[in-house]
Amino acid sequence: MSVTSAHGTAHSDTAAIQSATIETRDWLIAAAAAIVALIALYAVFMDNGSLISATGDYLHEFAHDGRHLFGAPCH
Amino acid sequence: MTKSPESPDSPTAPRTTSKSPSPTTTSSPVLPLLGRGLLAGGIGGLAAGLFSLLLAEPLMDKAIRAEEARAHEHEPAGGAVEHHEELFSRSTQHAGLVIALVVAGLAIGVLFAVAYALVHRRDPRGNPWPRALAFCAAAFCAVSLFPALRYPAAPPGVGDAGTVGDRQQMWLGAVVIGVLGMFLVWQVYVRLAPRPVPLRQGAVAVTAALVLALLWTLPDNPDPVPVSATLLWDFRMLSLASHVLMWAVFAAVFGGLGLRAVRAKAPAPTDTADEAESVEADYGSVAPVR
Repeated sequence: MSVTSAHGTAHSDTAAIQSATIETRDWLIAAAAAIVALIALYAVFMDNGSLISATGDYLHEFAHDGRHLFGAPCH
Repeated sequence: MTKSPESPDSPTAPRTTSKSPSPTTTSSPVLPLLGRGLLAGGIGGLAAGLFSLLLAEPLMDKAIRAEEARAHEHEPAGGAVEHHEELFSRSTQHAGLVIALVVAGLAIGVLFAVAYALVHRRDPRGNPWPRALAFCAAAFCAVSLFPALRYPAAPPGVGDAGTVGDRQQMWLGAVVIGVLGMFLVWQVYVRLAPRPVPLRQGAVAVTAALVLALLWTLPDNPDPVPVSATLLWDFRMLSLASHVLMWAVFAAVFGGLGLRAVRAKAPAPTDTADEAESVEADYGSVAPVR
């Protein structure tokens, strides 16, 4: 796909639309990744048994030392 | 002059001339940045994890032995203080430290990349090295230094299970103030661009100091700290050192990958060569960060 201004108007319009679509898609992927990242940070630093409550405080205890070291509240 | 937009590096490619400000000039650089953020965060988290495994774990083991001794002395029933030994052995928790920091590094890398892409979305072609350093310095202040100054890290054995919810809210509050505060600092820096440099830098320093002061509007940590001052100081220094190490490694990897992407594009088509060369000419220089 050619995207330079040297090409005709119709061609660059198509390119512009395609580029905008790609950009939208990329930002949606980024937003999804950010949500996953926030969940991961919650699991590591904030969870007190609510994510896997049936089996106990596993996430908290596994990440226990990391929480203390990072400065996240722990008990 | 045909370039596939799906190729991994192409979204950052300067691919149009300045005389055509069509949407193609702002092609999203966000996916390559996500990749760089993940790699930088993973390596930074691993570095911090191994550093802490070597230096901070002996201290944490010592703190837990002291905690157990205190529990035997004062209340044999134990209660909240004996839970550390219940689910995982200490050696599993040692491994958990490294894994937790790697996971946290990856997640921080993603958020960092998204913030970096948003902040630089109008001008994605600046020199990536000074940008990475400046952004990492800001992120270090926002999520590491400022919250750590307000709520310093506590070794195992410090921290009441009954107050953990409150302390988490305070800590999150400190991180949020740190992040919004560094955003404000950046805005001050950008908006005072036409002013004299001393005024601009002074305003940035005053804003940062005000953000730091604002953290003291949050309530104090309610928990007593029944450990020796030496152990506490050593632990807090090691905690801060692991933060510094994570961000330093992060900045080097993120900035280095950015430079590599620019260099890979140096033999670009003729209409983009000027842009690529102008960035390349900035290697190692102290180019102004925008």
